Amino acid sequence: MSLLKKLIPPDRWKLPVILAAGVFTGLGLYSFHISRAPSYLGNKPETCINCHIMAPEYATWAHSSHREKTNCNDCHVPHNNIINKYFFKAKDGLRHAAIFTLRKEPQVIFIKEAGKEAVHKNCIRCHSDLLTDSRLMGYNSSTNVFRMDRNCRDCHRETPHGRINSLASIPWARVPLPGSIVPEWMKKRLNPNHNNTIMP
Amino acid sequence: MRSIQEILKQKPWLGWIIFAATVVIVFLLGMLASSIIERRTEAVFAYTPQITFSEFEPRNEKWGEFFPREYNSYMKTSDTTFRSKYNGSAMIDMLEESPRMAVLWAGYLFSRDYNQGRGHYYAVEDIQKTLRTGAPSANVPSPQPNTCWTCKSPDVPRVMNKTGIAEFYKGTWDTKGTEIINPIGCADCHDSKTMNLRISRPALLEAFESLGKDITKASHQEMRSLVCAQCHVEYYFNKKMIEGVQYLVFPWKNGTSADGIARYYDDMEFSDWIHSLSRAPMLKAQHPDYEIYLTGTHASRGVSCADCHMPFISEGGQKFTDHHLQSPLNNIANSCQVCHREETERLISDVYSRQDKIIENRNTLELLLVRCQVEAKTAWDKGATEVQMKDILHNIRNAQWRWDFSSAGHGNSFHSPVETGRIISAGIAIAQDARVKLARLLASLDYNREIPYPDIITKARAQEYIGLEMKKLNEEKRIFLETVLPEWIRTGKEREKEYEKN
Repeated sequence: MSLLKKLIPPDRWKLPVILAAGVFTGLGLYSFHISRAPSYLGNKPETCINCHIMAPEYATWAHSSHREKTNCNDCHVPHNNIINKYFFKAKDGLRHAAIFTLRKEPQVIFIKEAGKEAVHKNCIRCHSDLLTDSRLMGYNSSTNVFRMDRNCRDCHRETPHGRINSLASIPWARVPLPGSIVPEWMKKRLNPNHNNTIMP
Repeated sequence: MRSIQEILKQKPWLGWIIFAATVVIVFLLGMLASSIIERRTEAVFAYTPQITFSEFEPRNEKWGEFFPREYNSYMKTSDTTFRSKYNGSAMIDMLEESPRMAVLWAGYLFSRDYNQGRGHYYAVEDIQKTLRTGAPSANVPSPQPNTCWTCKSPDVPRVMNKTGIAEFYKGTWDTKGTEIINPIGCADCHDSKTMNLRISRPALLEAFESLGKDITKASHQEMRSLVCAQCHVEYYFNKKMIEGVQYLVFPWKNGTSADGIARYYDDMEFSDWIHSLSRAPMLKAQHPDYEIYLTGTHASRGVSCADCHMPFISEGGQKFTDHHLQSPLNNIANSCQVCHREETERLISDVYSRQDKIIENRNTLELLLVRCQVEAKTAWDKGATEVQMKDILHNIRNAQWRWDFSSAGHGNSFHSPVETGRIISAGIAIAQDARVKLARLLASLDYNREIPYPDIITKARAQEYIGLEMKKLNEEKRIFLETVLPEWIRTGKEREKEYEKN
């Protein structure tokens, strides 16, 4: 308490301190807003393309069969418990944000060890039936070792992003910007006889 | 404890340090904020091409200067070497394949000429060459309206913007021969500024309105089918909406099923033509690809047209959307095998087995329909009255509609084998119903024998049977292609040279 009291400025300093604190908080909130920070709490794949350098990863996923059942988080963050999930997200996210801000991102992005581990476990999370054959497990105790000590991705290298997914490799991996799909000229042309265009 | 004030009084330099630290923090925070904004703006501009053409640029090669890979793959739609069991990219004379079709379309332009289409690259060339557009010259107009151009070219939105939509459809097909010269391409599906997908044909928007749906709410994934649905659908020309205009309309008000559309046409007493043998008011189905696709498994799993017909491909270390629109049977690895981990041979044989089974019943229905048409003609010849024929003709119209709906599409038997099978079965039942009624009617007219099946073993014999003078038609077309058409193309190219001057 005494520490807090020490921080409270004397009366004649109060106004400038309030103003200065306001400037800091405002700037902080502003950065928070423009970086779309709240979206990072959710699971939408669109969040990952807040940074445009992730567009190739988004586009390749959107062209894969995994797009029907998964989003980025399903594979790229651990799902063993919710605390670990958000811890991993925060750890990864802050590193990504720092590197992106410093413009230190490489042209070709490779997954790190921790990420590999998370992805591998998530493959198993959904596809466990493909890995563990209950009949074989009974006969051979080493099945688990032989089958589990490799990463799924060691063989399934095209799943789901493909091996070609750098910035330069997918120049038009554009995530469509929002906007009207009806051209202006047609809107204008259609409006005068709007009622006519409804079925007879 | 002393207050900060007291400390500062004794050590004024500490005040300066606090001041400097604050300056640095605010400075850095400001930099961070502007960096975030910068990188967000980058996302908008980083890959936006610095295009120099307008949204109506109809020449695909101009877009190709900025998107060479997409353009080069698009140009492969000119390849006609692939042939699957029933379709492919080569032109197939369907009347030669099945001369029965000529009899089913007697009295309609389709009986002159009907081909399995080639790639988008040939869209304009093939409509100029078909006998269905006639042989217009200075004195003779084409039998078709300008509406026929609507799906053929990115010149269409350009001209529509200039003249208005109804005005575009107005007049005979030959009157816009010099305006429409570029084949289906970039501007038909893409916004020139953002390269987003867009709708460039009003008929689809109007159809969505008639269904009470808002097309602007379509997701990107839906748009990857909807741009195709601008053309690959069933449509008709409405002559009653605006005087002197054959307005392009998709008949979706009662839904997009074969039955719903038939009901729609019945309600408005619409017919495409009167059959010259049976005198039935007939319907011609166009190519209800999108409607049939909607009823299939792939559509219900969220697979779009582009997923199979325009998959991602890698070329020279780059990955991009393959603009070589073609049968996925020629590209199994990039289309089917993205989801189906089966052998190529196995996947192809799965498709063929569906096609084989559908075509078996389609042929049955086709045969029944030829008999219907011939037997109805005999009934008229024996003195049947309009009242006696009314129900029979309605049956014939409905049965043939179902035959056409299922066979006119490009991939119906694969896109939705169950629905296609259902439509054909319904057609068979209706056709048989018509034949029972015809047999009864003929018996009451004292004719109780089997009516011989016509000799229509080849296209030529079938066309002769329905009274077409093919020699004359072909000769007229030859003259059109040799004299009128080069002039159209020359005038069109002259006009395009003006674009550069602006």
